[in-house]
Amino acid sequence: MLSSLRTGVQGLWRVSARSLQTTSALQHDSLFVHRDTPEDNSSIPFEFSPANQKRIDALLAIYPEGHKRGAMIPLLDLAQRQNGGWLPISAMHKVAEILNLPRMRVYEVATFYTMFIRRPIGKYHVQVCTTTPCWLRGSDAVLKAIVEATGCQVGGNSPCGKFSVSEVECLGACVNAPMVQVNDDYYEDLTVEDTKEIIEKLKKDEKPKPGPRSGRFAAEPLGGLTSLTEEPTGPGYGLQDALKA
Amino acid sequence: MSVAKLLALDKVAKLFNIIKQNGGIRASLYKLYKQEELKDGVLVGEDKFGNKYYENPRYFYSRNRWVEYSEKVHLNYDASQVPAEWYGWLHYKTDLPPHQDPSRPHYKWMAEFTENLSGTTGQYTPYSTTRAKIEPWVPKPKTGA
Amino acid sequence: MLRQPLSRALALTSPTRAAPLAARRFAEQVQARPDNVEVFIDDQPVYVPPGTTVLQAAAQVGVEIPRFCYHERLAVAGNCRMCLVEVEKSPKPVAACAMPVMKGMRVKTNSDLTRKAREGVMEFLLVNHPLDCPICDQGGECDLQDQSMAFGSDKSRFTDIHFSGKRAVEDKDVGPLIKTIMTRCIHCTRCIRFASEVAGVDDFGTTGRGTDMQVGTYVEKMFLSELSGNIIDLCPVGALTSKPYSFAARPWETRRIDSVDVLDPLGSNIVVATRTNEVLRILPRTNEEINEEWLADKSRFACDGLKRQRLVTPMMADSRGNLTPCEWEDAIVAAARALRDCPPDKLVAVSGDLADAESLVALKDLLNKLGSENTCTEQYFPLEGSGIDFRSSYLLNTKIANVEEADFVLLIGTNVRFEAPLLNARIRKAFIHKETDVALVGPKVDLTYDYMHVGDSASIVKDLATGTSAHEVLKRLESAKRPVVILGADQLKTQEGSALLAYTQELALRLQDKLQDKNWKVLNVLQRTASQVAALDIGYKPGVGKVLEAGPKVVYLLGADAGVVTRESLPKDAVVIYQGHHGDVGAQAADIVLPGAAYTEKRATYVNAEGRAQQTLVAVTPPGKAREDWKIIRALSEVVGERLPYDNLDEVRTRMSEISPALVSYGDVQDNNYFAQARALAQSLQKPVSGKLDVQLKTLEDYFMTDSISRASPTMAKCVQAVLKQKQSPY
Repeated sequence: MLSSLRTGVQGLWRVSARSLQTTSALQHDSLFVHRDTPEDNSSIPFEFSPANQKRIDALLAIYPEGHKRGAMIPLLDLAQRQNGGWLPISAMHKVAEILNLPRMRVYEVATFYTMFIRRPIGKYHVQVCTTTPCWLRGSDAVLKAIVEATGCQVGGNSPCGKFSVSEVECLGACVNAPMVQVNDDYYEDLTVEDTKEIIEKLKKDEKPKPGPRSGRFAAEPLGGLTSLTEEPTGPGYGLQDALKA
Repeated sequence: MSVAKLLALDKVAKLFNIIKQNGGIRASLYKLYKQEELKDGVLVGEDKFGNKYYENPRYFYSRNRWVEYSEKVHLNYDASQVPAEWYGWLHYKTDLPPHQDPSRPHYKWMAEFTENLSGTTGQYTPYSTTRAKIEPWVPKPKTGA
Repeated sequence: MLRQPLSRALALTSPTRAAPLAARRFAEQVQARPDNVEVFIDDQPVYVPPGTTVLQAAAQVGVEIPRFCYHERLAVAGNCRMCLVEVEKSPKPVAACAMPVMKGMRVKTNSDLTRKAREGVMEFLLVNHPLDCPICDQGGECDLQDQSMAFGSDKSRFTDIHFSGKRAVEDKDVGPLIKTIMTRCIHCTRCIRFASEVAGVDDFGTTGRGTDMQVGTYVEKMFLSELSGNIIDLCPVGALTSKPYSFAARPWETRRIDSVDVLDPLGSNIVVATRTNEVLRILPRTNEEINEEWLADKSRFACDGLKRQRLVTPMMADSRGNLTPCEWEDAIVAAARALRDCPPDKLVAVSGDLADAESLVALKDLLNKLGSENTCTEQYFPLEGSGIDFRSSYLLNTKIANVEEADFVLLIGTNVRFEAPLLNARIRKAFIHKETDVALVGPKVDLTYDYMHVGDSASIVKDLATGTSAHEVLKRLESAKRPVVILGADQLKTQEGSALLAYTQELALRLQDKLQDKNWKVLNVLQRTASQVAALDIGYKPGVGKVLEAGPKVVYLLGADAGVVTRESLPKDAVVIYQGHHGDVGAQAADIVLPGAAYTEKRATYVNAEGRAQQTLVAVTPPGKAREDWKIIRALSEVVGERLPYDNLDEVRTRMSEISPALVSYGDVQDNNYFAQARALAQSLQKPVSGKLDVQLKTLEDYFMTDSISRASPTMAKCVQAVLKQKQSPY
């Protein structure tokens, strides 16, 4: 306790001193080594469905001979979609087998990209953006509402097994902040009520309407256009008379 | 000063006295052979190993208390055969011999006195607890032949 | 070279791969060749071919640029950023290891910007590096330690320890040889690149990203490679250290003795680190012509077998036949009596895997003086045709280093990966960097690279030799500019061995005659043991079959532990004298045991599979009453009454040079000739062959325990267990 007091006091004058300032290291919420679990181990077989087999053939055809490993990310994505939103280790092995690569090369890619999820998750993966623009527009409340409605902690699965909630960085819809992503759909311009409604509908397995909830079509200004309101002028506008032929 | 003393006849008498006390000429010669000196004195006590402790204040200090080792050890006597309780008396730490000292504590856990066993078969030999650098091969004994 | 002190590392003495070596020769002439570009390193001009990196160019003028991830034998990664240097007119410092030189480039390796960049990189590396140098096994030979002293900042700004602590990574279990402390890892990825490029076992990788990135195997998996120990040397920090050597010694406490490995036929160069008369570990020594800077696991880790199962005292069988320790005098007198009383034609000497040339010469001289010609080796080799008369018939004529230059390699009945791991590494290097193709006749095994499997029937060799094969391999061989044919010596043991050798000679010579490069040798025979070539050079007869049939009275085993001479194969009253260093098959069968010295305990000559004589040096003294082998035989000869005419090592070597100058021309290897004569003599032996080729060492667990030293090694036993356990694992 004394040591933390000391560092706290040091912190006051350290601003001007020559020192590195670091924030506390945040660890990723998933492991980067594999642990065998009953849900995820290499003895659980994984086979691509016939429909996906066709997709794989089409995907592999894109890449020239000798560069088939370029198809690894699309293949892993297919596997993840087929497996209900997460990527078991046997699916990685299958992809390695298809691409004729050492398994380690597939593990490397699957662990690098955060959108490959290597633990069982719910049917609806709710990703709440909490980066600055969304946060300024009330993403904390949205997140709180989602956690309450689903009964699921951030980074975990809900007791019913239907939802998983994660807190993510910017998803690129800052104009429509705050927003959440549920599987592949964006729900934007959210209020707490909207959020609750979306979760309730998902609970009943109905698909809520994706997009902005504020009545906007897309990312246009909320209060109507403030510029470019008149008709565009025709050709030759503003040209001096001498140049008008 | 008497004539006898002048002629040192009292020394001669003392000698005869010593020989007498030690049990005659034969026994005295044996004692001389065994411990290379012959003394007369008062038997103060005897320990359970058979060592006898004598005192004679006529001899000068540091020689006036001595031990005659047990017959059992014959010539193999050794200063460490004096038990701890007699050691104190013998070295003038106390004037009370152990059997006359009531304050001397006796506990159950006190170990039996042993002499120094160094150089005998009963000696303590330290052994190395580190593993040998080289493990030699031990041939398998042949069976049958 | 990684384990050398920084001052030596800075000198960058080890030659790089072929291209830079050539480049260096040009640079010495200091003449601007038209195709070379001129660059300035700290204002010193240097001419290098285009494509050279800044780091290599700097090395040529003796300027050492610090590095962690760059390694001259591995692909360039460029991820440690330690080699940042200032280049004039470049807005940012550039990574010297990955930057190709450009004309007129002016590199400043000691400017303020460069120094600041290095200090910054070092500071970031150390932010997440634990301060456990006092308990780290790398201490004293750590690149991070050395370079932070040489290039790091003189003060620390790291004050964060109370807030969040340092990054911590869980340790991985990659088998009984390599200890991992992954928190120390600085992500140089050298181990990953080694595993993927040199070892050919793609089990290492990086998982995660950013601060969560870690080097590992993702799943729990042993590193199933016969070259795994090299990643210990490669690791610039203490993340990968040797498990058997852990907490054993500090590098400055050990004495290092240059020596030669004898556990495989290649004779890799090694450094034996000893302390208090005990071999602590074995490290590779750079020799571009043999092992580069790698070392196979058996050679590196079997050294703890030198401390177990040793013969430390002479032994004689007592009345009940049990071996009991005795004095040298008794054993020598008993052995001498047995030798003297034996009729010469009933006297046999058999040499084993690890026998050195000196003792082989002494033993043969002794037997010859006693009138016996029965000196033989355990390994068989056909004596029909030219037999062992021409050195070219039983050597690797192409030479290990030249295998890299080959464009087609045909392996016949050999699993090079386990019989000579570093030769396999060369073939793999050629396969990866030079597009060399490989074909194999023999059982299908994992060679760590793709090869054409022609089949496992011996008749394929015949078809290839006679040119009647329809297989694609024949066409490839015939069109190859530098073909290499490697025949495993194990295949010659059978009845068809001589025919197989004859066909292989025919095939190789037919290819060689057509080559444009007249100096290129095609024929190679890969021996299995370190002693075989020297024994054949000296004139030992290969194989014990015939002499055993004659019912010998006295058998002198010189380290013969392969089990080809057994008590059952000898007459009941035969006397077996075993001279060697380990209690193994041979000693168990013996009546008189004479304890000899192992290869770390004597100055001895070994001839490797290419015919290159090399010598081991005394690293430790022989244990107990054991003595150097040739001296034992010399002492014995005196008691027998046939005194050998040499009293010291120099005189023994003079005698060796009389037998063959090649035995004492240390480090050199001569080109072999007389291929045509051998071929002509072999013509009559080209009989039909029908058998199947099989190899003894098929998978990794077979590799670890093959001779008396590795059979006595607890580490090797653990390796076998671990490999078998890994085979049960689904990963």
